[in-house]
Amino acid sequence: MDGEPAVRARGLTKRYGDVTAVDAMELDVPVGVAFGLLGPNGAGKTTFMRMLFGLVRPDAGSVEVFGRNVADHGVAALAPVAGFVESPRFYPYLSGRANLEVLARLDQPYGDGPDIDLVLETVDLTDRQRSRVREYSYGMVQRLGVAAALLRNPQLLVVDEPTNGLDPAGIRDMRELIARLAGSGITVLLSSHNMLEVEQVCDRVAIMRRGGIAFDGSITDLRAMADDVGYRLTTEDDRRALELCEHTPGLHRLELGLDGLRFEASQSAVEDLTRRLGAAGIGTRELAARTTALETLFFRLTESRSEVLM
Amino acid sequence: MSSTTAVFRVEWRKLAAQPRLRAGFAVLLIAPWLFIALVLHQDRLPVETLYGRYLKDSGFATPLVVLVFSTQWIFPLIASLISGDVFSSEDAHGTWKTVLTRSVSRGEMFWGKVAAAFTATVAAVVVLGTSATLAGVALVGSQPLVNVGGVLVPARSALGHVALSWLVVLPPVLAFAALAIAVSILTRSSVLGVLVPVVIGLVMQMYVFLNAWDTVRHVLLNSPMNAWRGLFDTPAYTDPLERGLLVALAYLAASIAISLIAFHRRDITGG
Ligand SMILES: Nc1ncnc2c1ncn2[C@@H]1O[C@H](COP(=O)(O)OP(=O)(O)OP(=O)(O)O)[C@@H](O)[C@H]1O
Ligand SMILES: [Mg+2]
Repeated sequence: MDGEPAVRARGLTKRYGDVTAVDAMELDVPVGVAFGLLGPNGAGKTTFMRMLFGLVRPDAGSVEVFGRNVADHGVAALAPVAGFVESPRFYPYLSGRANLEVLARLDQPYGDGPDIDLVLETVDLTDRQRSRVREYSYGMVQRLGVAAALLRNPQLLVVDEPTNGLDPAGIRDMRELIARLAGSGITVLLSSHNMLEVEQVCDRVAIMRRGGIAFDGSITDLRAMADDVGYRLTTEDDRRALELCEHTPGLHRLELGLDGLRFEASQSAVEDLTRRLGAAGIGTRELAARTTALETLFFRLTESRSEVLM
Repeated sequence: MSSTTAVFRVEWRKLAAQPRLRAGFAVLLIAPWLFIALVLHQDRLPVETLYGRYLKDSGFATPLVVLVFSTQWIFPLIASLISGDVFSSEDAHGTWKTVLTRSVSRGEMFWGKVAAAFTATVAAVVVLGTSATLAGVALVGSQPLVNVGGVLVPARSALGHVALSWLVVLPPVLAFAALAIAVSILTRSSVLGVLVPVVIGLVMQMYVFLNAWDTVRHVLLNSPMNAWRGLFDTPAYTDPLERGLLVALAYLAASIAISLIAFHRRDITGG
């Protein structure tokens, strides 16, 4: 299996009526990396993952897992894969543990399953394992989802916005858990619309936009592309400041909002701007970075109307 | 096919964990006892119903009267409550994606669930029939039974006929179960999965009441449901039974084929 990527999508396409959810997508997820699939709402992340899991049939193209086509090999191709799309779902009338027992049986009909106690311990649900899932909080269900995935002892873990809906502590724990799993040699494919999360957890990233891939590379590559930061500026006279900004080189996406001026700029362009404001006698009240460099890049990649940047 | 067996066992575990199913079986167990106890306490008898007039004369009339009632809408209801639920509850809970991302193919999932649904449906019929027979024999006695042909049938063969009558309704009951599975898969709704087969059963029933065309009547599911009546005539006749078996099998096969194709093609997008 050497050289085969963990996931390979070629010309992968899925249409729902008029909407092309995934559009001739090409992607390789190398073995052993933590791969972030980043994209705004509706970019097609979930649809891609559903096709990866064989839940949804592609209209065109293929997706392979460790070299085996999911459409042709079905469950056999998916043997090394586990995870969930959107929020994990369980039988509410069964306990967390009973849910895992049921799923373990569907993994290995003859029993000899992996250790349910161990995975419950890993996601910190040992205390509540006997409670019905109906009584679980959102974060507990999310953790049970990870436990259910670990039960399969996967080589590839696919998780769709795993921190969605969690509180700050839950988000921190989930990210730590995923980073730990990725560190243990499992290939992780994680979707998110949070740049920061992908930056923290992943070493490679693909950015999806309207069903296609707008960027694919390492986080380092992405950082190299990211130079402009989003700023917010308020002055004693925003109209004059706007005029001045329009004539300052290196400022992009300039707009006047209710809370002041917004623009994207490199560090040197901002320095230049402050000098010009001073020279023009316009007093600055506030100059703040709205977004990190990577976030700005993310918005640029996913919102621009221009064609794919790669 | 070990994975199909795994699905079957999982389905049973889930069914057994649901209180409403246990309650349903309790009702099937108790209802015939209540029914015959009430009949014995009043003067009037349900003479309109086949064998109703003999309820106090022979305990074997009880399971037959219960059978007459059940063929009208109770069997379609039982069949669809159980079978419809086995498929559409996965839609209701959004759990298709959970079970279909394990190591079980769609085909194995389908057959395991069908097997579980059919077994539970048969179990429900057996529980009701056995309970009705025991209730009749315990509360009325095991006297010989006067059959439709006016001939007195001794206790031993009456019991055999009762058992056979309950047995031969199983194919049409399973046909209703298959219908419920098809409707549940096609509509992804447990409400429709239960409602549609029951309504179909009632419409067929009404059609027979209106007493229309024989050809149409013969291909309805109530002919096999009522075919057991011929067993109790003297001489017994089995034409409707044989024809009915074919009709039931045709419904069953068509529903299962449609269900299987729809289930294989389906995109799992909910949940
Ligand atoms: N079952 C469906 N029926 C119709 N359209 C759908 C369906 N599922 C997804 N879509 C459409 O496909 C597109 C991609 O949706 P998808 O859920 O894959 O996006 P996503 O990247 O996961 O978004 P989010 O961040 O909101 O989860 C959207 O335009 C969506 O409306
Ligand atoms: Mg999504």
